[in-house]
Amino acid sequence: MSEEVNETKYVGAMPDDEPRIGVYVCHCGSNIAGVIPCDKVVDFAGELPGVVHAAETMYACADSGQRLIKEDIKKYGLNRVVVSACSVRMHEPTFRACVAEAGLNPFLMEMANIREQCTWAHGHDPEGALEKAKDLTAAAVAKASFLTPLDMISVPVTKKALVIGGGVAGINAALDLAEQKIPVVLVEKQPTIGGVMAQLNKTFPTMDCSI
Amino acid sequence: MVDAARQPLIEVKAYTEVEKVEGFVGNFKVTLREKAKYVRADRCNGCAACAKACPVEVPNYFEMNLAPRKAAYIPMSQSVPLVYNIDMDACIHCYKCVDACGALEAIDFSMEDKIIEEDIGAIVVATGFGHFDPTPMTEYGYGRFPNVITAMEMERLNNSAGATHGMVIRPSDNQRPQKLAIINCVGSRDKRYNPYCSNFCCMYAIKNALLLKQMNPNMDISVYYIDIRTPSKGYEEFYDRAREAGIKFIQGRPAEITEDPNSHQLFIKSEDITLGRVVEHEYDMVMLNQAAVPQPDQDHMSSVLNVAQSPGGWFMEYHPKLRPIDSPTDGIFFAGACQGPKDIPASVAQGSAAASRASRILHSDSWQIEPTVAVVWPDRCVSGKGQACGICEKTCPYGAIDYTKGISAEVITAKCHGCGGCVGECPHDAITQLHYTDAEVLAQIRTLLAVEPEKKILAFRCQWCSYGGADLAGTSHFEYSANERGLRVMCSARMDADLIYEAYRLGAGAILYSGCHPQDCHYITGQVAGAKRAARLEKMFARLGISPGRFRTEWISAAEGDKYARVINEMQATLDAIPEIELKAEIERLKPEMVKKLTKLNEVPGVEEAMIQVDFIVNEMKSKAVSL
Repeated sequence: MSEEVNETKYVGAMPDDEPRIGVYVCHCGSNIAGVIPCDKVVDFAGELPGVVHAAETMYACADSGQRLIKEDIKKYGLNRVVVSACSVRMHEPTFRACVAEAGLNPFLMEMANIREQCTWAHGHDPEGALEKAKDLTAAAVAKASFLTPLDMISVPVTKKALVIGGGVAGINAALDLAEQKIPVVLVEKQPTIGGVMAQLNKTFPTMDCSI
Repeated sequence: MVDAARQPLIEVKAYTEVEKVEGFVGNFKVTLREKAKYVRADRCNGCAACAKACPVEVPNYFEMNLAPRKAAYIPMSQSVPLVYNIDMDACIHCYKCVDACGALEAIDFSMEDKIIEEDIGAIVVATGFGHFDPTPMTEYGYGRFPNVITAMEMERLNNSAGATHGMVIRPSDNQRPQKLAIINCVGSRDKRYNPYCSNFCCMYAIKNALLLKQMNPNMDISVYYIDIRTPSKGYEEFYDRAREAGIKFIQGRPAEITEDPNSHQLFIKSEDITLGRVVEHEYDMVMLNQAAVPQPDQDHMSSVLNVAQSPGGWFMEYHPKLRPIDSPTDGIFFAGACQGPKDIPASVAQGSAAASRASRILHSDSWQIEPTVAVVWPDRCVSGKGQACGICEKTCPYGAIDYTKGISAEVITAKCHGCGGCVGECPHDAITQLHYTDAEVLAQIRTLLAVEPEKKILAFRCQWCSYGGADLAGTSHFEYSANERGLRVMCSARMDADLIYEAYRLGAGAILYSGCHPQDCHYITGQVAGAKRAARLEKMFARLGISPGRFRTEWISAAEGDKYARVINEMQATLDAIPEIELKAEIERLKPEMVKKLTKLNEVPGVEEAMIQVDFIVNEMKSKAVSL
């Protein structure tokens, strides 16, 4: 184990700065705003301890939405950002990159999923959905209060590939890597490479020889 | 094949097995076992003198055991590398091969297996597939009726380099068959064996039918099929060609093959869907188009490589659509049929794709990994105080924890995948996980249960599966109770018992403990740790007398949006069925028990202060709720 990869040490349970949180509630067109009044979520979030600014945005992920967040980070001195919008599976990388562009550590952004896991699932119960959107936003604010900056961990790379299996897929992978000047060890458990392909007569749909 | 051997940057290690894979992306340490060939690769010129001299004959695997090879052998004449091999299990030590080899002195009976260690940056797994053995399907008589053969046996029969030099003959009497049937989906699309479609067999049946027709235009060939699947470029046209060539396609899965024991003629009884009745036809020979199945040693490779398997046993990709080439382990990629049945074009394409995914890493000087790793508080770890423990080390699926009694456990950051299993299991609250610290998760629980907690269903979900299932429920607009409050951690292994105690202490109505199905776990055995804990909790809550259904464990995949919605709705119904007064009394009764069990709140560094801050948020939420 090289020293380089073992450098992450926990900095402490509590962040050492006072949270200044910005909350952005996305309409997502009518996907969210069609079920709940987003301004109510903004009013609610704006008064939570630690939150210094809360705003609505039509599309948080759009250029305009991201610009708003970036400008506000500077304008209000935000050091944490909460985006109440869609699933983290959809846009966590987007908003991490967005806050990073404004100079914040990307891990100081937290999302509340008020679309897939709220308005889209509770269209029959707009009041329940509104209460849930508030709670999810508050939970993201609460978590955000304790977020600490994290750095990606950097590890060195050995420039050599191992390909396990000398059939048609493995041979092709090995050739492609070698053509990029990457040394390859191609391991095959049988005495010859070729795999099932070498056992075949002609192959479909062109009926050419397999070897 | 020859290109690979010729390429100076490729070191072909045939007759070699992977024994051990350790390390992590960019820094794998791989142990290989190069099995002894008893022929020196640097001297053998492939002249075959040893094989000619060898008096021992054994079946050749390469010819599907239809033809013999010598104990001194190569599997086929185009073998790469062209180095002979002495099969020690068959060798009678007559040393005739040594004499035949003569001055070359390539044969060396003192050779032993060689253990080789390699430093590797990225791994492409292309271990391929195996063939379904139709013997257990007694209705088709394979193994009993000599003229029922498998597709791979047919392959070696009609191959000019094969056992009969390309002459297709009946094993019972060496006669050329005039009437032949091919049966598709043997062992696939069959719930008794393998439920999946084997992908290439339809095309494969058509290919063999056309090939046989080319060899003998008078041959009468029928293909029995359930559906003909030809979804790739040029495939449907290929099927058309077969129909134009006069090959018969009979839609129906044969029920039975019987044999006349004297003539060895075969009779297939099958439904013919087009005719709408059961038919019986006589054939000289039948080819069973057997399913592709995982390699016999796939389970073993899965544990060597530390990669999970999907249902059916294939290696499981990171994401079926967005990352189909990546394994869940960073730096390990899949190519070809080891990940699921694939034809040649798809396998070739995936080989290139895997090379490209791997080269992103191999062209970089360093590689970045997510910092959501576990960290040990050395002063809390009891091992540092001389006590034996090591639970964290046992829980970790990646061997990322260094535990030596007497020294505080340490997380090897680069090996840690950030499941949080050790955090959940540590009995001394000595480990935390960055970005999912106890303070952060407890803060979420407290806010989600701030107002009317007894009405809430708190749902703990893993990032990869159940969170995805909840997303899919929304995307599909499967509606469920808006009293659900979801909470995300990376793996069910992180769902610490203390988190559940705290939720009940705060008065949660119901709790869902959900993660992936065991075979889908992104952290190899994370779900197993989560499931064990959930079972313990279930027992404990039953003993404490909480109403059944208020604590529920469910494994929900990212594909099971309907299940997520159903489970939440069922939990809502459970809550609705308990009279409010009883529910509140039960919650109050449980609280002191939970306080007794909870340690995280007062013990974990920073949590107490954090909760004071969170309570400001909670109080604000409560005051708003009152004013509503």
